[in-house]
Amino acid sequence: MAVKIKTKNGLIDISNGVIATVVGSAATSNYGVVGMASKNAIRDGFDGILNRANYKRGVVVKSEDNRITVDVYIIVGYGLKISEVSRNVQDSVKFNLKNQLGIETKAVNVIVQSVKVLDE
Amino acid sequence: MVLKEIDSKKFRDMVRVATHRLGRNAEFINSLNVFPVPDGDTGTNMNLTIESGAKAVAQNTSNSVGDLTESLAKGMLMGARGNSGVISSQLFRGVYKATQGMKTLNAQELANAFSNGVATAYKAVMKPVEGTILTVARIGAQEGANKANETDDVEEVMKAIVEGAKKALKTTPDLLPVLKQVGVVDSGGQGLLFIYEGFLEGILGEEFADRYQPDEGEMDEMINAMHHQSVQSQLSTQDIANGYCTEIMVDLTADAPHKKTFNLDEFREHLSQLGDSLLAVSDEEVAKVHIHTEHPGAIFAYGSQFGQLGKIKIDNMRIQHETIVNNSEENQENVDFAVIAVASGNGIRKLFESEGVNRIISGGQTMNPSTQDIIDSIKKSGAKKAIVMPNNGNIIMAAKQAAEVSDIPVGIVPTKTIAQGLTAMLSFDADDSLEDNVANMTDALDTVVSGEVTKANRDTTINEVEIHQDDYLGIVDGDIKIANTDLITTASSMVEKMLDEDSEIITVIYGRDSNKKEAQELVEAVKEKHDDLEFEIHDGGQPVYNFLISVE
Repeated sequence: MAVKIKTKNGLIDISNGVIATVVGSAATSNYGVVGMASKNAIRDGFDGILNRANYKRGVVVKSEDNRITVDVYIIVGYGLKISEVSRNVQDSVKFNLKNQLGIETKAVNVIVQSVKVLDE
Repeated sequence: MVLKEIDSKKFRDMVRVATHRLGRNAEFINSLNVFPVPDGDTGTNMNLTIESGAKAVAQNTSNSVGDLTESLAKGMLMGARGNSGVISSQLFRGVYKATQGMKTLNAQELANAFSNGVATAYKAVMKPVEGTILTVARIGAQEGANKANETDDVEEVMKAIVEGAKKALKTTPDLLPVLKQVGVVDSGGQGLLFIYEGFLEGILGEEFADRYQPDEGEMDEMINAMHHQSVQSQLSTQDIANGYCTEIMVDLTADAPHKKTFNLDEFREHLSQLGDSLLAVSDEEVAKVHIHTEHPGAIFAYGSQFGQLGKIKIDNMRIQHETIVNNSEENQENVDFAVIAVASGNGIRKLFESEGVNRIISGGQTMNPSTQDIIDSIKKSGAKKAIVMPNNGNIIMAAKQAAEVSDIPVGIVPTKTIAQGLTAMLSFDADDSLEDNVANMTDALDTVVSGEVTKANRDTTINEVEIHQDDYLGIVDGDIKIANTDLITTASSMVEKMLDEDSEIITVIYGRDSNKKEAQELVEAVKEKHDDLEFEIHDGGQPVYNFLISVE
């Protein structure tokens, strides 16, 4: 379901793909997030890092009364506090959806699909 | 005297002073926080992070610097809070890696440690944003490395790092547009600078510098950032408790009737009772105040006791705020295209609603809704056109009758099971015509195989399956395929019959008479033979059916 915003000048319809891109960019701009992962790693036969055009494979958007719930699938660098990185992702996703798209978020579920060992 | 190396005692001083210095200035850092989320918590987060590191250092009795950097890094990792906290923890993880096993640090080793910290910190981010704490750390480390090539004095190297960091902090607004827009330097970068300055003071053995006194330019930055934070928080206008943004300057050198002696702490203390968002700074000659209050007059009256009032500015924030909010107001209206589904069970209701179904008529299996129930629901939706999904073979007729007598165009998608209804809904597009939607949604029904597990209420034989009372029955697309006394066996053999080579996802919705544990047992049983499939489990809360299962 896409998100529709009715204004006095007409309708604004924001597709799930756009939401996924905003969510993906917000998530990956967080420190410690080294990539987005596919939500269907098995089906896509692919457990690597998604590129920007494929962010929507790592984001699930559900809408309800113009408020949305998003699931974000991320890969976090090893050696970082994963719970805190995830919390930061929740904050920034929520903020960017509100700030860029004017969408209220009901919940941001962060799924850490894998950790990547960074060479030191 | 030239200081050639940092021993464990010196290092403990560095950490202690840095922690103290950051802690004293956490509020100031908070006030600068506009990026990445303007929530005013950078200072608090960094402070908690380094405090956790400092605590670990204090508990470690080792007299080797390498052991202490390890404790610092581990403590910061455990206590990392917020983006800036996570970054600093990683920075010091790099410092620890470069100093492993070292009893003391000389100038070169100190510079290397910071360089390695920066290298490590940059690795854990996809797109490093410049103009943040990362930039400050990087330039600081560079200057330190350059200095270490010239001298073996650790004081000089640390000084160079601080100077580099300071210089980099000033450039952050040029690198990160949002900082320039708001007119502040980066809060995390400022926090790191405080830490570095603390390190330097620890090395020099200076008295602790007390709370950092922001100068007038920095005060403007703090005011800008504070307003940015509060605009973004999207309060409703009537929630603004203190409506006037008031700024005054007091010329402390000027004469005033009954002039009182100025003391910044008392001054702050008094003003803080008159409003919120207080910022106050002063030097020998002038005091500057920013406050949100309901009584600007009281601020003037108080300020004028200490000298003459200079620049005065008052903004009515309610009016400003209304303008901002009105611009972004979104009007919602009734749907003109309604989707109505028949379902029972709270969980299933929610699944349908999350897919965009507007109204749910409760029913299915034992309690079929009447034609009248469906007509009422169509009317109540207030829509101009509607789609009805009966989700049960026995309700399709009633739905069709309701469609015929309805005042608005109504399409029926002949869904026979909940699983079909959930799948059909994925093909719904409110912008398409009624006919196209019915066609698309009906097409989608073929992609799903539905299975239901329930309990037999009498002995019988159907489709050559012998059934005893209280057996569990596996029903695939309406036909009884299996009967067994064990729930999981029934369900897993039923799933076997539903699979073909194109099957990808199995969704299990457990009902009121089952629980999540049983659903997981079922999934495990099927997984044993088919580990290439994906499984979803939902709490449907439906009566009668222990499991509703769909295979797509």
